[in-house]
Amino acid sequence: MTLEKHGENRFVVPIGPQHPALKEPGHFEFVVDGEIVTGASVRLGYVHRGIEKGAEDRTWTQNLYLMERICGICSHIHATAFVQGVEKLAGVEAPPRARAIREIFAELERIHSHMLWLGVAAHEGGFDALFMYSWRDREVVMDMLEMLSGNRVHYSANLIGGVKYDLTPDMMDKIREGLNYLEERLAHYLDVVNNDETFIGRTRGIGTMTREQAQLLGAVGPTARASNFAYDVRVDAPYAAYAEFPVEMVVAQEGDLHARFVVRILETMESIRVLRRIFENMPESELVTRVPRRIPAGETISRVEAPRGELFYFIASGGGEKPERVKVRTPSLCNWGTVITLAVGHKLADMPMILAGIDPCFSCNDRLVMVKRNRQDPQVWTWADLRNYGIEYYR
Amino acid sequence: MNLTIHPLIVLLFFPGGLFLLASGLVFQWADRKLVARFQNRVGPRFLQPLADVLKLLAKEEIIPEGAHRGLFVALPIIALAAALTAALYVPMFGVQPFFSFQGDLIVTIYLLSALTISLGLAGANSVDRFSLVGATRTLTQLFSYEAPFLLAVIGPALAAQSWQISKINAYAGETTWFIVAQPIGFLVALVGLMGKLELPPFDAPEAETEIVAGALTEYSGRGFALFRLSKDIELVIGLTLVAAFYLGGIANPLDFVLKTGGLLLVMALLQTAFARLRIDQTVGLWWRVGALMGLVQILAILAGIYIRQWWL
Repeated sequence: MTLEKHGENRFVVPIGPQHPALKEPGHFEFVVDGEIVTGASVRLGYVHRGIEKGAEDRTWTQNLYLMERICGICSHIHATAFVQGVEKLAGVEAPPRARAIREIFAELERIHSHMLWLGVAAHEGGFDALFMYSWRDREVVMDMLEMLSGNRVHYSANLIGGVKYDLTPDMMDKIREGLNYLEERLAHYLDVVNNDETFIGRTRGIGTMTREQAQLLGAVGPTARASNFAYDVRVDAPYAAYAEFPVEMVVAQEGDLHARFVVRILETMESIRVLRRIFENMPESELVTRVPRRIPAGETISRVEAPRGELFYFIASGGGEKPERVKVRTPSLCNWGTVITLAVGHKLADMPMILAGIDPCFSCNDRLVMVKRNRQDPQVWTWADLRNYGIEYYR
Repeated sequence: MNLTIHPLIVLLFFPGGLFLLASGLVFQWADRKLVARFQNRVGPRFLQPLADVLKLLAKEEIIPEGAHRGLFVALPIIALAAALTAALYVPMFGVQPFFSFQGDLIVTIYLLSALTISLGLAGANSVDRFSLVGATRTLTQLFSYEAPFLLAVIGPALAAQSWQISKINAYAGETTWFIVAQPIGFLVALVGLMGKLELPPFDAPEAETEIVAGALTEYSGRGFALFRLSKDIELVIGLTLVAAFYLGGIANPLDFVLKTGGLLLVMALLQTAFARLRIDQTVGLWWRVGALMGLVQILAILAGIYIRQWWL
């Protein structure tokens, strides 16, 4: 019956938009021949929230909070990208201590994001023990973030021209303690990932991507670095305090799932090292500089390294209190192509792990897609137009 | 222990029927709780499995389009019946099996396989793609673990010179534990049981991150409850069988609780320690390692028997 429906003698296994493997909605269709996948496609856009349009209706300060809500895992890095772009337009620079604190938040966030991913990816491979343990240990870094900002998810540490929260020596000591524990645990997880027979059986040689493929498909972040594509915004175009407190880039040669595990775990350990270095030489200065309410007209791009890869912001100001245009391109969007390409030839059982291997973040990457239907000029849509379109679409 | 009870009571209350169902739920709870504790979780409350079953029984059963209605309704009942019947030949709760004849070992094992086959058929009786893939995997797995598991169970039978579970049980109680004489057989039997029950790491047939609930994806309400109950009972029977054969027989209720409990503890640990195997890895493991190990064990036992006969 299924076969007749599809007409072409294809057996399609749909994954999503609602599926136990996906914690966010996305739709994938895998054409399978027995257990082997012979074709794959992806459909995104289930959680489009109109954030870019919403940004045009809010002031620069209000937008900080909106941008932070693009992603619940890497909230700080979105605000950082936005704030750095705005500072560039305004021609101000955040004080050294503020920049260091931005880096501290960013690296703590990377630790929690990578540990979250480790758990999710292990769960996709049916290794629930690793899932439970890594999430238990992730609580340590969540507690640190809560101690610093009072929040576990949206820290809202950034202000235009600086940061909100300062670190006391007492806090740094507590974080150091937590980092020692985390480093020990991460070393253990690295050992598990490298030496557990069943786990290696599920990751080594699966979803192998060559350096050329990574370049061609435009992969970013740990996904690309696992394929020996050495590109990291923190190293190549340092922002915040990365020039004073540099991180070492972690790359791997193999390009398979196993390499992606290793790269992410090593990156987390590198984050711990750089945090310790910042605590040793914490710069002394103000936390905020004065920034005008109206940002001078102009356009700029702002790039940062989110836990998932390069995050790209385009910001245009008309010289008013509100931005004229904010365009966000999240790293997950760059990495989808690799999933679709790598899926072919693998077994159906490997699909969840290959999917999770890029650390996808669906809600973050869903942007507006223009649909040219019953409209004269599809280029300019007002808020009312969009709202009407949405209501009509789902009626 | 040898009791004389009216056969109707045997079938409906103890040790068959209600008591068996209750013990299945208790074992499911113990298994879930142990795995949860090993994974640093809290785990379910004691009455959770019962609550699940009652909730499912109270719910509407949806028969999906494209499935054969009769088969859809009958298969869970057949599965549960097979599991309940199989229990009658096994020394449940330390009580002598109430029905026993030469060859009941084979009957028991086939009844347990009938359960798995009805599971596979339930998946195949559907147009749902997750069910179909799950059914394929269930049956593939059946063909891979069945032979090694059978070989592992035959070991004690050969040593006891009988195909009757009660006799093997009694014989196992008299000699040194078979786990000492036949360690390979014990290992294959225990891991085979995990394959039979589709427990992690052999849970490819119901890998939720790939194919939702595998063969049972389209089942809801009563049918799903019955399938789960029959699997719980299969767990009790399997543990009892392995304990009776390899851990010195089951002579009284205390024996039963201690030995099956110990086995469950080991099994829960094994469930936690590994990542899920792909179905091709499962098949490879069983045929390349499991079956060979089972065969080596059988050859060793046969050689042992001949040498002993030659000496005497």
